[in-house]
Amino acid sequence: MNSQTLQKVDHAALKANQLFIISLNILAFIFNQVWIAAFVAIVMGLGSALKVPGFLPIYKYVLKPRGWMKPDVLNDNPEPHRFSQLLGFLFMTAGSVSLFLGATILGWSLVWLVVALAALNAFGGFCVGCAVYYWLGRFNLPGFSKQPPAGTIPGMKPKVGASL
Amino acid sequence: MSSDTLSFVLRFGLAMVIIGLGAFTYWQINQRLLVRATNNVFTLLKKLPDKPVLVYFTTPDCAPCKTVQRPAIDRVSKMLGEKLQVIEIDATERPDLAKVWGVMSVPTTFLLDPRGEARYVNNGVARAEKLLEQIQTL
Repeated sequence: MNSQTLQKVDHAALKANQLFIISLNILAFIFNQVWIAAFVAIVMGLGSALKVPGFLPIYKYVLKPRGWMKPDVLNDNPEPHRFSQLLGFLFMTAGSVSLFLGATILGWSLVWLVVALAALNAFGGFCVGCAVYYWLGRFNLPGFSKQPPAGTIPGMKPKVGASL
Repeated sequence: MSSDTLSFVLRFGLAMVIIGLGAFTYWQINQRLLVRATNNVFTLLKKLPDKPVLVYFTTPDCAPCKTVQRPAIDRVSKMLGEKLQVIEIDATERPDLAKVWGVMSVPTTFLLDPRGEARYVNNGVARAEKLLEQIQTL
């Protein structure tokens, strides 16, 4: 049993972010438009810097007000999700740079890896980046101090709203 | 066919194959959940039901459960009356049941046919229309 305090995290905003990452990257691949992948990388980078999901404004000002997505606020740690987005940003940056340099197989593989991980999170409720965060936390690395909410598998979407 | 068009077709085809593989994997996981639910049906029911059963996993602080899933289930329940049995489980009170049924998030709904076989699982919110459509096939 740990004694950390959880925060309110809107998983619908995270999901919207993941769906945009998935959709734009697939479009980038189909139309062979590297700049779209680079755009996704930049948005994820900006989101990481501002500590919010990169495509949050679309959720906040378009999807939520129109009722197309409803808030799904759970007691959770926001830090693992930020770390996950940062990892995605690094993969997307590496992928985009590879594509600009002509390493197409490596570049698109990295882009598809981000798509696969985002899809696993959006549709399966499992955040691989969060699981990596919690795994690193076991080694007492600085900056990885949070533990998964009680009764939740590291990386899984919390189903129990315990405020530890 | 120009090389640009060919490239587009190949890329589109490859994207569809990858998405299809992902969807197949997701479907496989759901099938395993259904087998698991069928095997554990007697953790919830004392005897085989003679009507379809909707098993609804929720938690007290689950916002979409309150705003969407609960009203949808109420609507379906009102429409079908005695023809449907609804079992609601609070995963915070019965984590053992959530575990044996393989529930990873809430809301999760299972639909069992009258023989107690789990036929559908909805991970996340399932609207009333979808639930009705699924119940009609049981």
